[in-house]
Amino acid sequence: MNPGGNSVVVQLTDVTKIYRQGKVDVHALRGLSLEVNKGEFTAICGPSGSGKTTALNLIGALDRPTSGRVVLEGRDLATLSRRELSHLRRDRIGFVFQAYNLMPVLTAYENAEMVMWVQGITLEERRRRIGGLFAAVGLEGLEDRRPSELSGGQQQRVAIARAIAAEPAVVLADEPTANVDSETADRLIGIMERLNEERGATFLFSTHDPRVMERARRLVRLVDGNVASDERRE
Amino acid sequence: MSARGTSLLVMAWRNLWRNRRRTILTLSSVAFGVFLAILFTAMQDRNWADMINLAARLGTGHVTLQHAEYLEAPAFSRTVQETGVLRSMALEDRDVSRAVERIIGQVMLSTARESFGAGLIGFDPAEEDSSTFALISAIAAGEPFTTGDDPGIMLGERLASNLGVGLGDKVIYTTTDKSGGIVNGLARVSAILRSGAPSIDGALCVLPIDALRDVLGYAEDEATVVAVFLKDQRRADAVAERLRRQVMSGVTALPWQANQRELAAFVAIKVGGARFMELLIAVLVAAGIFNTLFVSVMERQREFGIMMAIGWSPGRLFRLVMLESAWLGIVGLVAAALVTAWPYYYLSTRGIDISGLMGPDTVEVSGVAMPSVFRVGIYPGHAAFIACAALVAVLLSGLYPAWKAGRVDPVETIMLV
Repeated sequence: MNPGGNSVVVQLTDVTKIYRQGKVDVHALRGLSLEVNKGEFTAICGPSGSGKTTALNLIGALDRPTSGRVVLEGRDLATLSRRELSHLRRDRIGFVFQAYNLMPVLTAYENAEMVMWVQGITLEERRRRIGGLFAAVGLEGLEDRRPSELSGGQQQRVAIARAIAAEPAVVLADEPTANVDSETADRLIGIMERLNEERGATFLFSTHDPRVMERARRLVRLVDGNVASDERRE
Repeated sequence: MSARGTSLLVMAWRNLWRNRRRTILTLSSVAFGVFLAILFTAMQDRNWADMINLAARLGTGHVTLQHAEYLEAPAFSRTVQETGVLRSMALEDRDVSRAVERIIGQVMLSTARESFGAGLIGFDPAEEDSSTFALISAIAAGEPFTTGDDPGIMLGERLASNLGVGLGDKVIYTTTDKSGGIVNGLARVSAILRSGAPSIDGALCVLPIDALRDVLGYAEDEATVVAVFLKDQRRADAVAERLRRQVMSGVTALPWQANQRELAAFVAIKVGGARFMELLIAVLVAAGIFNTLFVSVMERQREFGIMMAIGWSPGRLFRLVMLESAWLGIVGLVAAALVTAWPYYYLSTRGIDISGLMGPDTVEVSGVAMPSVFRVGIYPGHAAFIACAALVAVLLSGLYPAWKAGRVDPVETIMLV
């Protein structure tokens, strides 16, 4: 939880990440410092190789930095065990992936409730939350369809519902509009904006999509693994 | 709105059918492996039980009450007394179905033309029928004895031919009596026996027990053995052990393995071979399952990475893959039951006549002819063991793939970088 009522959800301090590719060290992040506050709708943009996805991986507790601190809701991720990180991802982080990544054997409803199911939330509560979310993202009537029976946009809406349903501290979305047409992309952004406004969900995107950048209320531009600009819009 | 909740069991079931063809092939290998193991074991169970039961009905029962020294030095002088008491004692055991007295030994048979040595069995026709004395159903000509002092003798077909006698002809049998003296008896051939076993048809005669007692000088309740028959031959050791503690001094109780050592060794070797074959089948089935599960896990690395990313623990992924292997085992066993049912029914009720493959001479072990009709019949415990072993083999083969699933690195598999 966020101690002391501080509104900072994500805090990166002087974070570096070096990957070893063959005999070459690749510096993905070079002393990145960044804070994301509760309820922000933030896009991280930048050219390929600028460190957007690496930053999301570190914030999402999927990877560990080479140096520096990553803090989520006041908890330093470096101090958490593998099991604690797993619980943190389950309870406090929502993921939306570029390629939807729904479970093909589960229906739209089951995919959306999956994180809550793993959390041990009751069937009734799951049903209540998914009902509201499916209405919010326009998936009513599609609950029993498998991913293969849904369009790309519909699948991404299920993924958004899955990420939001467990009421995480932050939703990390990696190029969420990359695989859909412009009309669908607009609709997806609209859905996420509405969820951000109505439910106070904190969104952090990595994106190349100018539409996402235009509508983000905060735009962080990365170049060579560090913040080149940080623009807040009202 | 769907009212269903997700469960690992349902997810594992659906995952099983993602690659339908591969799953069906794997299930086929489980079903075929279990089918082979069941039929192989059923053939063994039935054949060995039939042979052991036949051996018991040809001589000394599943458990034999006899003089303590009779096994090492058989002689008409080494007898058991109070056979009525011994029979009653045996019949009180929960595993015993019948107990009969017999005189067993060797005689010299003579006719006007020839003399031959032969084995001898004396039995009580008033007490026994073909369920305890198999040779009654081997009568090819003539009639069975009607009383214990019937004047007849039954001869094996080849023995009668060698002696040059037929029904109604006189035969003199000579042996040593209880006190070691030479004694003779006269009988007329009342039946010719044809069992198919050379050692019986060529070298065995049967006399009514009371007539034999008179010749040997035995008391009315005296015999060389009390043959005890069990409901299940596999209980022979336990029953012998219990009876041994109860019988009077000088008498012992032996399981059939002690009196039929050659047959016991033969069965033990065959059972050992069968176990090895079953182990081989289990390993082959397990290898097939392992391959399927491992490939299936490797194909789903990215998916497992996603699951880990959204909060699945390694333990939950492990359980998912183990449940998939459990489903494979359970469905494989159901398929095995379906595949095995009809062949098993056919082979257990009708069997296959393999006498043509065995040639003109009957194959025998320790005086017991090998069955010429291939039939099956499995002990329920063995069937349950095979089912459990198949399930365990499937679960064991799922262990490594399941562990591997829980070791997925989300970053590497999702390929976000």
